[in-house]
This record gives sequence, structure tokens and C-alpha cells, in this order.
Amino acid sequence: MDLKAQMPGLRSLEVLALLIALSPIAADAVPSFARQTGQSCVACHAGGQFPELTPYGRMFKLTGYTQGERKNPLSAMLVTSLTKTRNNTDATGASVSPKDGQAIFDFASVFVAGKVTDNVGVFAQYTYVAHDHQDDAGKWIGHFGADNTDIRFADHLIREDRDLVYGVTLNNNPSVQDPWNSSPAWAYPYVSSSISPVARAPFQTMLEGGLAQQVSGLGAYAYWKKSIYAELSSYQSANGILSFLRQGNHAGSADHPRIFVKGHNPYWRLAYTGEKGAHNWMLGALGLTAEVFPNDSEAQPEFGSGSTKFRDVGVDAQYQYILEPHTVSAQARFIKERISDPQNLVLADSTSATLRTFRSKVSYVYQSKYGASLSFFNVNGSGDSLAFAGGVTNSPGTRGWTPEVFWTPWQHLRVGMQYTAFTRYLGAKSNFDGTGRNARDNNTAYLYAWLAY
Amino acid sequence: MKRAVRSAATIVLVALVAACSQIDRSRAAGNPDVSAVTMAQQVCSTCHGVTGNSVSPAFPKLAGQQRPYLVAQLAEFKSHNRSTLTGAQYMWGFSRLSPDQVQGLADYFSGQTPTFEPAGNPSLEAEGRVIFTQGISDRNVTMCSACHGVRGEGSAAAPRLAGQHADYVAKQLVIFQRTDQRPLGIAMKQVTHELSDHQIQALAVFLQSFSPTR
Repeated sequence: MDLKAQMPGLRSLEVLALLIALSPIAADAVPSFARQTGQSCVACHAGGQFPELTPYGRMFKLTGYTQGERKNPLSAMLVTSLTKTRNNTDATGASVSPKDGQAIFDFASVFVAGKVTDNVGVFAQYTYVAHDHQDDAGKWIGHFGADNTDIRFADHLIREDRDLVYGVTLNNNPSVQDPWNSSPAWAYPYVSSSISPVARAPFQTMLEGGLAQQVSGLGAYAYWKKSIYAELSSYQSANGILSFLRQGNHAGSADHPRIFVKGHNPYWRLAYTGEKGAHNWMLGALGLTAEVFPNDSEAQPEFGSGSTKFRDVGVDAQYQYILEPHTVSAQARFIKERISDPQNLVLADSTSATLRTFRSKVSYVYQSKYGASLSFFNVNGSGDSLAFAGGVTNSPGTRGWTPEVFWTPWQHLRVGMQYTAFTRYLGAKSNFDGTGRNARDNNTAYLYAWLAY
Repeated sequence: MKRAVRSAATIVLVALVAACSQIDRSRAAGNPDVSAVTMAQQVCSTCHGVTGNSVSPAFPKLAGQQRPYLVAQLAEFKSHNRSTLTGAQYMWGFSRLSPDQVQGLADYFSGQTPTFEPAGNPSLEAEGRVIFTQGISDRNVTMCSACHGVRGEGSAAAPRLAGQHADYVAKQLVIFQRTDQRPLGIAMKQVTHELSDHQIQALAVFLQSFSPTR
């Protein structure tokens, strides 16, 4: 097989992986919503652990962000952090994470979030990443672009003998419209190092951010008697009037290229939910089928050489116990992705591959102030020398744990410390890259202060 | 062309939904034109349940609550006089309720039928029943039933307690006993002064299980 001929595809998937790895983790708390409802952050966020939603917060979202009164819809968010990598020197003597051990201004977001009419509401986030990439001279370049966006119409038919929420969502990231924190867009880690290239698993499924801020999705959903939730959406390349949804990504941009999908790409979601006393739970399934065009070496789309189909199917679950002063929550998600690539645009060793990701998290918050969480993640799948290049085994297999402690001294500020410990990285525990680097060398400590106002 | 049609359809769709505004299903909390029934169903029900029988003990049951008590508490939240932690977190935002809405909400919830869920602790329940019906004479704790009714149904001067979530009752008793966050409940400060934590828990468990049909 002529690997050189496959380079466009290789670049495409590598860039995708890089985009996922370096994108600021969806980290959102929206004080303008609190102003709108007149309620505290903890009304919507479990234990104040934004962006994790309480049952009330989920209903606020599903009913289109329309509860309360129209107020100033602007909010802002700022994250500063310090990343420390266990072994920050690679085999050549270069730094792995260039700002290692330095306190940095990480990223800032502005939100336009609030009620428009009694049935229409908006959540739109734009984010500036201060240390987005380095130019040829090594100077850090910032980047401003669209972040998670969800515009909704919703209605609630409710009386004693009926309860149906239904709505329509226009958004730019499959699962950003989901109200449970086991689905990818709002799942743990709620914030993590955006500057280290080794702080998390390098490969994720397409459903886990692969199309974020690249597509426009239109979907319809219904939630019946707080029991059954169903949604069907279709995602397209964000073009024309909807191009604001992918603001900041451009065809030809080496650092923020556009990703084009073929036609309409379905996303579906089913969930069964229940509550008893202070306990509530959700069992769900979700999926995305997306056909993605490759980009060439200039980051321009190639529409004439075929496409790669990603079929993602996942199951997820969430449990919460919320009763002051205690908040306990747990989430788990498993996604299996089948990659079909008949033209070998992204795969080299076969025309098909699989990728499986598992992520779970359990957390406890006391008095909505003092919290701790523990997360486990495991990524594995069939190896491929192009799609999952990086390690000597050509495997995406990466596994690890992330314990975290955090403190919310004021409802608008969270300070936290997390440590990601890898027990496997790109298919191996030791010498994963053939230069003697071990999985644990990528262990990353992340100290952050997260302000939202 | 196809793209233009798609964009146009999107604009039309967005314009249509943006134009929609159904006052009878509004979730506004400060619009006096929204009826109290709409507000109860669209807003209050999210925490308190559509019939006022909340599932989570974080939120009190309102079904069958005494009307004057509901009116008084809504006024206390509006004025921010009731300054309990959860009251401030969840209820202070409803400061623009109109007098008609307050009356209407009180009508709506007081007219609902309360449900009962046994707390499942018969021995503690029995202890609580004794305190509720007889008080604790040697600790100067008067019988609760004197004001709250022999069936815990409440009166014009005191709220219904029967069927209320145990956790909510226990937390309110502690608030009465140790804080001034509920000024309208000042009479409860003396009544609860001598209650031990165990006795508070017993009362709470008893009241959650207290059904007029049992």
C-alpha cells in the first residue's frame, strides 16, 4: 500500500485527533441563566459542580432555557491553570508540554444565553484559547471561535394526567443538546489541560467531539412523563447562514481546518429515566453515523475521492443523589465505533476498524463546596498504522484514572486539582513510542481556577 | 440552489418558532398575565410536582397545604424574609409574583390531594407519634397537634405537616430551633428549643408516614 498516497487521509484523522485533544473542554456555567430564573447555580448544577445538571437543570434545558424573565443574556467565563507533566522531556530532550509548570491564562468564554420568547431560548458560547498553537518562531497564538451552541424551541404539555416536553434544537455538536452528563459533550472531565498534548487519550470516537463546531444539526426530541426521552437529529456541514456555528474553523487552516461531512448524518438518543426520593437515574443509548470527507495536505476538502463512514453506537447511564448537604453522582458511557473506509482515506492496514471508548466518573460534593471525584477511562480498538499512529503498536489503547478534588468557595468560582494517571498509552504500558517513554511519563497534574460570571 | 433552499427553510423555521409565544404555557415568573395555574404547572411543578406532591425531599410537598400558610410563605420568599439556604437558592427569584398569582398558587396547591409514603421506621415513627400527640411535658415541648391538628392537617394558623418529607421537616425544625431564618415561625423557636436531634428525627419520620386514612 502506498502510504504516501494516503497522506491526505492521515492528516485528516490526525488533525481530528489533535482538535479533540486540544479543544478547550466543554466547561460551562451560565450566570445569565441564574439571573433569568433568579435562582442559585446549585438549582441547576448538581452540588454546584457545573456543568453537571440537576433534574431541575435538565428540565430547564429541555424546556428551551425559557423559564424566568428575559435579562441581560451575556455571561463570561475564565479559566487559569497550571499543568505539570510527570516526565516533560522526550527522547530528543525537547519539552513535551511547552508551558509545563507555569501558571497560564488558559481560555475565556463569552456566552449569549437566555430566553428569547416563552418557547425559544439560546445557549451560545464563544471561546478564546490563549495558547492555541505556536507559530514558526515559537510564539504563542490565540484563537477565538464558536464553542457549544444550542438554540431551542420547546413546549411543555403538562397537567395532572399528562406530561410531555417536546422541542426542536439547532446546535453545532452532536450531544451538546443532551441534558445528561454521561453523553459526550458535557461529560467529565468538565475542565482539563488544554495545553498539554499528552494529558488525555489521543483518540476518541467521532461522537466524542469529532464534529464539534464543524456541523449544524437540526433535531426534534420528546420527553414523556419524565420517563422516556427520544431524540432524532441530522447533522450537516455548517454552511451558509449557519456558518456561525463553526466560526473559527476554516478550510485551508492548518490549525483549525474545517471538517466536511457528506449529506445528512443522523444522531439518535433514547433514555429511560426515573426518580425516587432524592435519587434519580438514567439508562440510555445513543448513536451517530457520519460520513466524513478527507482533507488534503493543505487542509482543503477533497470531495471527489470518497468518504469515510463512522458508525458510533453507545450506551450510557447516570445516577444522582441530591439532598443538601450531600450530592453524589455517577456517570458511565461506552461507545463502539466502526470505521468503514473503502478508499483507505484514513486507514492503511484495512478498510475497516473499530474504536471503543469507556468513561466513568463518580463524585461527591459536600455543602456544594467541597468535592472529590474519581474517573476511569479506557480506549481500545483495532490497530492501524495510519489512523492510530503514534505508538509502536499502532493501537489507540489508552487507559487511566483521574482523581480530582475541588472547592467552590463562591458559587461563581471553582478551584480544583486533578491528576490523570495513565496505566496504558497508545497500546503499551512501557516504551509505547519506541523511544523508551512509558505511559506513566504522561501522567498530568492540572491545577485550575474557573471563574464564571 | 439546494443550499439556498435549505438556508431559507432554516430561516423560516427559526422565524416561526421565534414568533411563537403561548401565554397559557409560559414559563415566565414575572409576567402578571400568566395565570397561577400555568405557573404552577409549567414552573413550580418542576420541583414540587404537578399535583404538589414532590418526589425529592429537597422540595416540600405543597399538596393540601393550608392556603393561608402558602400565601404567607410566598410573601416571605418575595420579601426575602425567609432566608433559609434552600429558600434563598430556589425561591427568592420569585419576587415578582403578582398578588393574584400568589392567591392563585395558594388555591392551586391547597386544592390538591396529598400523598403519603411511609418512612419505614416503625419504632422511630412511634416515638414521633408520642411527641406529636402528647408533647414532652418535662422538657416544655407542647404537643404539635394543638396547632397542627390531630391529623396533622394544619389550620389557618399552622401548616399541614401530615405526609411531608421527613428530611424537609427535620431541616425546618433545626432551622426554627437554631436560627432566625424563618421569622414567621418565631413561635416554633420556643417549642423546638428542647428537642434533641433524635426527637427531631422521630417527629420527621412520623409526619412523613402520617396519613389520615391510617
